[in-house]
Parts: sequence; structure tokens; C-alpha cells
Amino acid sequence: MNSPLFEYGLISEGAGLIVAVVIGFFFGLFLERGGLGNPHKLTGVFYLRDFAVPKAMFTAMVVASCGLYSLGDLKLLDIEKVWIIPTYFWPQIVGGAIFGLGYLLAGYCPGTAVAALGSGRTDALVTILGMIAGSVLFAVVYPALEGFYLSSGMGTVTLPSILKVNHWVVIAFVLLLAGAMFYYMERFERKTRENS
Amino acid sequence: MEKNSFWSPYLAGIGLGLTLLAAFYIMGKGLGASSAFSIVSAVATDKLNPEYAKGLKYFSRYLSVDSPLKDWIVFEILGLLAGAFTGALLSRNFRLKFDKAAGGSSRARFFTALAGGILLGFAGRLARGCTSGVALTGGAQLALAGWLFVISMFISGFIFAAIFRRLWS
Repeated sequence: MNSPLFEYGLISEGAGLIVAVVIGFFFGLFLERGGLGNPHKLTGVFYLRDFAVPKAMFTAMVVASCGLYSLGDLKLLDIEKVWIIPTYFWPQIVGGAIFGLGYLLAGYCPGTAVAALGSGRTDALVTILGMIAGSVLFAVVYPALEGFYLSSGMGTVTLPSILKVNHWVVIAFVLLLAGAMFYYMERFERKTRENS
Repeated sequence: MEKNSFWSPYLAGIGLGLTLLAAFYIMGKGLGASSAFSIVSAVATDKLNPEYAKGLKYFSRYLSVDSPLKDWIVFEILGLLAGAFTGALLSRNFRLKFDKAAGGSSRARFFTALAGGILLGFAGRLARGCTSGVALTGGAQLALAGWLFVISMFISGFIFAAIFRRLWS
């Protein structure tokens, strides 16, 4: 087992930056091609008129999840060396809620704003400048927020570790959830098309 | 109405999932976006007023290295821009425009784009990432963080969409 390649020293820092550009290129290409550089499609889910965001997002999650844990189980990838996002319960719930409002107002999230700019949308540039200002704002008020920011830390917990079940049990549940969501989204979209 | 030349979101999702998997396999980390803007904001503050930037505790995590911009996520975002540009050009989907809701004014759009951006930048720092770094990457890792963020974000979006009904529809 010698992957993640970078973590095992098979890729230098400099080569890592080239990999970053290539990975980013495909990230942007698929976002744009999926219609996720378009604020009307990006906000469609909240008005129940276009489900491109949850469809693309949950498909991507399921594909990457199956791939990650398959490679791990086959001993082709050392999951211990993959950086797992740590959980801070309340900051992530409150952050997610503020983020939801920002996403709705802007019509973009950070990555999709860049994809929108790439497809020629100048309003996305305003959102990007706003994000930079919002990051400065966070740094300025950070001393007052630090207590909350560091509260309810749970470490790098995953659903299988909390529920004490095999990761494939959780993946099967996510697959079922995604499948049911896709089924109802397709049915709902077909109905609204027939009525219009 | 512009013609819809997009791919099926499922197909794009498979592409995104494989891209994320490649990031896991090659680099040992997932995709991200919001922290690139946080790094840029720290560097910009440092350029404008180094004394003030040094006083900001949160920025020390970026400014303690020699060249903060030589970071994986900054390069990933540059690639993202190039990839989206290429996709839009090749599909004849590229159009320079100030996009806004049908019937809305450009001035109102300027303010929603800006206010939304400020909230995204702030919330991304609080949650330690955004739709890419926490929701997509964390969700795929089955990390609790990813699922908390995704659920909270969608509930909030639905609630505020019910309040601001004419914002986009």
C-alpha cells in the first residue's frame, strides 16, 4: 500500500500543486457541464423547480464514498492517512444555516461562484469579492467568536464510528436515501412539466 | 430562455465523484473552495496593512508560512476556473453577462450577490469549509461534519426561500 501518493512521499510539493490544477480543472469542468455554474439552476432546489444540485451532489458523494471505502478495504489506499474533516457540532450547524442563506442570496456557493465566473457571469465576481470580505470579517471578530468556534469539538468522527456499524451499512443507507430522493425528484419534475 | 446544453446532473455527479476520489487517492485530501478565499483575504489584508494583519489571530494560520498563496487549494481554484471556462467554451455556453433573476434590477442583484458572498465567506470559516470541503468531501467520507452541514444548509435554504419567494423564481 503506497497511497495516498502524496502522503507516502511519491509526489513532491511542487508536483502536488500541478495535481491541484488538474484536479481543479476537472472539478470546474464537471460543475459547469452539470449546470452548476448557473445561479438559476443552483437555487432551483430551494424553489422545487430544478433538482440539479442534489442530484449531482449525492451522485458524487455515493461514487466517491464507494470508491474510497472499496480502495480502503482492498488495501489499495490507507484511509488512516486521508485527512478527514473534523466535527464541531454547533459551529457546523450554525455555519451551515448561515451558509444556506448566503447561498440563496448569492445564487452560488464558493466553488460554483468560480465555475460561474468561468462561464462568463460577472455577478459571480461580486460574490467572490463578498466572500473575501466575509473571510476578513470572520478574522476580525474571531476573538469574540473563538469560544464558540472551538466548542462541541468531536474530532474526526464518522457515522460508522458513532453508530458502531460497518461503513458499508451506512453507504447502503446513503444509497437507498439517494435512490429514493432521485425517484421522487424525477417524478416531481415530470409532474410540473406536464402541468405547465 | 437560453437553450439547455448541460449534461445530465447524474453524469456530472459521476465525474465529480471520480474527481474527488482521485484527490483522495493522489493527495490524501478532498476538494475544497472557501479556504482559498480566506487565504486570499489574509494575504490582501497583509499587503494593505501588515501590522493589522499580524494582529489578527485567525490569519496567523495562513501568514506564518513564507508564501501563503502557494497552497494546494489556491491552485485547485485556478484549475477550477480554467475547467469551467473550457467547459463553457466547448459547449458554446460561455456568455459574458451580469446574471440576475428574471425581472429583477441589476442594483438589487449587486446587493444580493455581495451580501450572499459575505455570508458565505463568514459561514465557511465558522463551519471549517463549504459545500465542497465539508458537504461533498465530508459527506463522501461519511464524516458527521459533512452530514450536519448538508442538512443544516438545505433546511436553512428552504426556509429562506419560503420567506424570499421572489428572489429567484
